[in-house]
Parts: sequence; structure tokens; C-alpha cells
Amino acid sequence: MSAEYPRDNPANDPPFATQTLEEALATHGDTETVVDVDEPTQQLVLFRLNGQRFALPGSAVSEILPSDQPVYYVPGLPNSTEGVLHLRGKIESVISLHHLLGLPSPEGASKGMILLVRAAGITSGVRIEQLDDVCEVAQSMLQAPPETLPGTLRPYVSALWQMDERQALALLDPEALFDAYQQGLG
Amino acid sequence: MPQHRDPHEQAQVALVLFHVGPYRAALEARHVLAMTDHPTALRTANAQSLLYAGSDPESPPSRWLTLRDAQTVSDNGGTWQLGVSGDFTLQQLPANTLYPLPKLLFPRRFSTALCGFTFDQQQLVLLLDARKLSP
Repeated sequence: MSAEYPRDNPANDPPFATQTLEEALATHGDTETVVDVDEPTQQLVLFRLNGQRFALPGSAVSEILPSDQPVYYVPGLPNSTEGVLHLRGKIESVISLHHLLGLPSPEGASKGMILLVRAAGITSGVRIEQLDDVCEVAQSMLQAPPETLPGTLRPYVSALWQMDERQALALLDPEALFDAYQQGLG
Repeated sequence: MPQHRDPHEQAQVALVLFHVGPYRAALEARHVLAMTDHPTALRTANAQSLLYAGSDPESPPSRWLTLRDAQTVSDNGGTWQLGVSGDFTLQQLPANTLYPLPKLLFPRRFSTALCGFTFDQQQLVLLLDARKLSP
């Protein structure tokens, strides 16, 4: 039994290939960039503040608390301090990053989740407006912050991730944020 | 005769709880020398003005706690009175329910006397270090 493609009849000629098998299979995959498993990656917690996209390193976020987590107001602290929360026998602060990042404060009561962030030996809750995702990103996709980054953000942004042609995300440095807060900024 | 504490016994701290405007606060009872309805000391201060600069109008103190003046180094130990609002209560609270101020907040507090928190009837209570308060 012959395995050859019969060539005596033109109708039996193999069809003209316009695409390789690899290309054809790739079109069925999602449009996201495929990450080489050997490439170093970084876990990011993606969230929004005032509609803008930000991220914190996953290594610095120990917990994501629901929006209904009770937060107790404490008098005699700056407006950027929402209060404190009581979590499993510990009291942690809850701060807002809006003032520090030069963003307008949200109107009304805070409704988003709280990220429990640990950096430089300090743990604090950080109120966010919307949690987008927790994902692994290839480190090669994280670029140095451009010179055009607004001055209010520059001290706190360690990298920029160009998610697609239209959207970029700023990776925040939690140590820089806590340090600035302690120095009286925000 | 030395007193031996049962290792299973819960350590307790005696506190005087009171109101400061709409908030609750507490001082360690050993620092409170007396509790009166009227001021009798030469030096007094309203707790509200010592703890926070708020836009709320100051509520006039209705009770007075006599404290040793930490700023006075004389042997006879000068005293002053802290004006508080509402009733005060003396309570023994388990030591493990007294929580230190989170590290991030230390440099940002209005009063260095704010040193921690506890809860009483599910309400937050500000723990104050009497030695850091002065009129």
C-alpha cells in the first residue's frame, strides 16, 4: 500500500499552504504573550485606584481582605489613615495611597478590598478601589519607569508593565510608600 | 513573702476608661491619683485638645482625672488634671487584649501619648501613656 500522495491527477495536488500548522494553532490560543516557563517571573497583585491601574509585588501582599472588613477610625491621625483593623489578635493600620500618589480622594465611604502589605518590617492594610487580578508576569516585560512619568508617582514606581498598546500599569514599591508615609507625606 | 502567679492565670491590667468627645480612651489606673467631678489642680487640660486637632467643637469636660506631672521633677511630685467627658470606669482587662500601636502610625500620631488600642463592648478604645501627657 503506497503512502505517496497521488500526483497524476492535478485535482489530487496538495492544496497551497498559506499557514503553517504552528501558526494555525497559535491563532486558536489567546492573544496574550506566551511566557517561557524558564524565564524568571514575578507575581503581581493588580488593582485600581481612581480608575488607574497599579500593582504591588505579590511577595509583599500577605492577604487580601474583603471590603466589609471592619475598620475603626482613630482620631489624631492624617486623613490618609483610614483607621485600624483587628485581624486574628493583631491590630493593623489601614492607609489610603491617594494622597501619596497625587490622586483625588474617592468620594463617599471606602468600598474596595484591603491589601495587607508587608515591607521593611512594617505591615499595613492598603485600601484599593478594585482588585483586578493576581498574576505571574515575566520580569523581562517590566520596564524601567519612563522619564515622562508624573513627578508625584516617580518616587513610588519601580517598573512599568505595558499590558497592551493602550494600557500600562505602574508597579509600586511598597518600601518607598511606607517610608514616605512615615516621613509625613501623604 | 513572694507571690507566685499561676502560669495559667491570665495577666490583667487595670485601666481607667473614659470618653474623649465621641471616642473612648483609657489610662493605666496606677497613673491616676484621683477622679473628681470638679477641677481642683492649678494645671488642667482637656483630653480632646491633647489627643487630636479636630474640627468638632470641644465638648467641655465633665470629669477630672488627677495625674502626676511628668514634666515636674520636684520631690513633692506636682499633679495636674485631665478633663474628660462622660463617665469613667475602672476595669481589669486581660493583657493579651491590649494591642500596641501599629508601627507605621508612630511618626504620624498627633499625640505621642497614643500607644495602643483595646476593645470594650466592641468599641475601639485608645490606650494612652499617662507619662506622655502633659497640660
